Amino acid sequence: MFEKLEKILAGAKADYIDIRYEEVKETAIGFSGKELTTLSANASDGFVVRVLDQGGMASVTFTRPDEAEAAVRAAEENASLFSRNTAKPVRMAKAEAVRDTFAPKLGEDPRHIPMEEKLELVRKYNNIPLAWPKVVNTSIAYSEVCRKKYYLNSEGSRIQEDLLTTSVRGLITAREGGLTQNIRVGIGGSDGFGAIRGQERHFEEKTKLVLDLLAAEPVKSGSYSCILNPSLAGVFAHEAFGHFSEADIVETLPAMRKRMTLGAKLGNGILNIIDDATQPGQLGFYQYDDEGVEVRPVQLIKNGVLSGRLHSRRTAAEFGEPLSGHCVAEDYRYAPIVRMGTIFIQPGDKSFGELLQSLWDGLYLLDAKGGQTSGENFTFGANYGYEVRQGKIGRMVRDINISGNLYQTLMDISSVGSDLRLSQIGGCGKGQSNIRSCNGGPHIIIDNLIVGGI
Amino acid sequence: MEKLLEMAGRAADQAEVFSTEQSSISVSFHDAKLYDIKTNFLSGVSLRIIKDGKLGFAYTRNLKNRQGLLENALDSLRGRVEANYDLPDTRVGQSLATYDPAASKLSSADLLDESQRICEILKAKAAGEIMAGAYVSVDSMRILNSRGADLSQRNSLAGSYSSIIFPGSGSGMSREVRSRAMVKMPDNLISEMADLFKQGQKTVQPKGGRMKVLFMPESMITLLWRIVSGLSGRSVYEKISPNAARLGQRIFSPKLTIYDDPLNDAYPGARAWDDEGVPCKKLPLIEQGVLKGFFYDLKYAEKMGAASTGHGYRGDIWSGDPVTVKPGPFLGHLFMEPGTASLARLISQIDRGIIIEGVMGAHSGNIPNGDYSIGIGPGLYVENGRIVGRVKDAMAAGNIYQTLSNVVEVGETLYPSFEGARVPPLLCEGVSVTTKS
Repeated sequence: MFEKLEKILAGAKADYIDIRYEEVKETAIGFSGKELTTLSANASDGFVVRVLDQGGMASVTFTRPDEAEAAVRAAEENASLFSRNTAKPVRMAKAEAVRDTFAPKLGEDPRHIPMEEKLELVRKYNNIPLAWPKVVNTSIAYSEVCRKKYYLNSEGSRIQEDLLTTSVRGLITAREGGLTQNIRVGIGGSDGFGAIRGQERHFEEKTKLVLDLLAAEPVKSGSYSCILNPSLAGVFAHEAFGHFSEADIVETLPAMRKRMTLGAKLGNGILNIIDDATQPGQLGFYQYDDEGVEVRPVQLIKNGVLSGRLHSRRTAAEFGEPLSGHCVAEDYRYAPIVRMGTIFIQPGDKSFGELLQSLWDGLYLLDAKGGQTSGENFTFGANYGYEVRQGKIGRMVRDINISGNLYQTLMDISSVGSDLRLSQIGGCGKGQSNIRSCNGGPHIIIDNLIVGGI
Repeated sequence: MEKLLEMAGRAADQAEVFSTEQSSISVSFHDAKLYDIKTNFLSGVSLRIIKDGKLGFAYTRNLKNRQGLLENALDSLRGRVEANYDLPDTRVGQSLATYDPAASKLSSADLLDESQRICEILKAKAAGEIMAGAYVSVDSMRILNSRGADLSQRNSLAGSYSSIIFPGSGSGMSREVRSRAMVKMPDNLISEMADLFKQGQKTVQPKGGRMKVLFMPESMITLLWRIVSGLSGRSVYEKISPNAARLGQRIFSPKLTIYDDPLNDAYPGARAWDDEGVPCKKLPLIEQGVLKGFFYDLKYAEKMGAASTGHGYRGDIWSGDPVTVKPGPFLGHLFMEPGTASLARLISQIDRGIIIEGVMGAHSGNIPNGDYSIGIGPGLYVENGRIVGRVKDAMAAGNIYQTLSNVVEVGETLYPSFEGARVPPLLCEGVSVTTKS
């Protein structure tokens, strides 16, 4: 393959050029209620070329090999146009040339498991909620995405890496009278099929929760101090803070960039946040990013102080900060952008019981259901929650969405538990999706969160 | 294509070949400076077969191996995914204006010039962080099926967008224009954005409670997503839409009329037939608040004993890749009938309320049921018909079947919004807003 890629770039005259070719194999099985709606296994492929010439940068993606010449020409012309129209030339931080082949260790390779076996496993999980009459619908899907990536650049890097992601995820919907409630389910990972075997309990627990939600009260809107469970703490780390540790976001927002200067005191002194995609077995694990840089752990917040940032080669040069290996693409349809890998709040020393005592009155919120950031403000949903009165967990509440301001909320994290957990499924949409976006944390307390209710 | 169809037609009862070729260029400016130039060439072929009432599906980017693609589709028959419908024998589609040759001539330099022009105008008008960009995309698509349909269409889409960000906040006022070939972003649209931006300089923390809310084009996504979900034949079939038994009943304010019109080629993206080859037509959905109909693709029409309304599209809110996604019901040409109120008049009617320009979390919550609970960002707080400032840390929440029953007035101007929709600003009352005060 590398010879083919070299041939494509052979005529290029730019200062720097790279090319990524990917074959993506996708297996999909989907149920809607009892009905199987999808079963397919397909392969597709394509190329991404990036050019940096005289301070001008451009990218092109294409899927037909016979378009290669036109594609490289388009990238060069656009880089030249960029160069003529910018006062500030784009630079890339120096990176080592790497020659390597990397395939992750898999618990069980899903590519060797017959489709029938996968189908039966998903059917079994799907049947767990469907056994209950109040469950009116399920939407449960198996997804297996295998990316075989070939990366080559004009500085001598040649990297072949495989990324394999499996998941069973979806939604269970229950109804009683005029009230419908739903709950998200999801299991999976990046280390093989083993991660999704033997997970009946997950579906049983979620089914019980969605049935319980039918008897829960809507949360009363207002401002509350809350315990967030690890799933929600992870989404908080990702949504509220994480996106602003992506250098390409703050790079061109001068006011925010100033505020996010390394060394700035952003959070309570007990707060530590790291992005560490180097941990094998975790959903976010990879070896090299999509510009051939080896990923490394980045301590983002240390004792409440901003201490690191996630970078591409372009942003590392712009900020004058170390490379981190976080420039990642969804697949061959996209040029890479700066993405979180595995971001989490590092555990403290409080037990869950101690957190309840210290909260005393407030809400205990569990499990993320979608979040979004818009500048310094963030919003995300919790699948369910409980009132906490005098340090004791009380009745269940539903329809929970919380909102807050990044800077204020980082200061308002008043307690950090010791029980770290990382997410098994991901899905961050920043123009392109990242199904391996992994986040987590321990239980934490945040004071004064706005809870919207409905 | 023909050969693949012939092979597939022999191996199955019915077959359909869908192919697409697309090229696009986009230029973006961040903080009023050139940031990125991207070009994409994306093509592919997708095969659907039906055999003994079961569905097979396969796709590829490069049709190098027809037999391999067909075998993939035949393999997927083993799952026994039901398909008890017939592919349409559509012969000639309506002739619509969907492609402007001027789009094919647009270069990166043209897009760069328009983005730069918008940045310069905004820079002169307001001291914010300016984002802008322009794009063009040209595609051709073809559907061939074993019942004799051979449909093809060429489309072009060009547009530009811009935002003025409130420094330090990361969120701002945004506007967009879309057409079949490049049109300049009109001055009045740029001014509207800059004027609203200026009036949001001061941050305020009003008390929460029930109040009027003016949904602007960028925040209408909250309502539209739930409208579309609640009117989908699939949601009705899956018993997750609250509208199943409400046909002919008033579900929204009489001030609201909503329809889908793929044939309206005054705007880009018009379609004579959907991605399954079913002819498109104008579909009334809500007439003066009364529920008139649901939309269907072939599959869910069959399940509900209805006819496809021509709403089978390859792609949904999360995935727009027509090659890898099977057709499903989707509404992409929604129009909300405009009223007569100017933006100034809408604002003048707010005794106490918020103009919502942007939202967070529109994708969260029980969408088919119509529930929403959104972070507001940015939102302008209004008292006695005057904008007081930009609201800090606020959420709005409710259920669209309540919110859209309490419409005060509908704006006069249509803006592009959620997934090809064209909607006016909408002033509603009694919306629950939570703040920190």
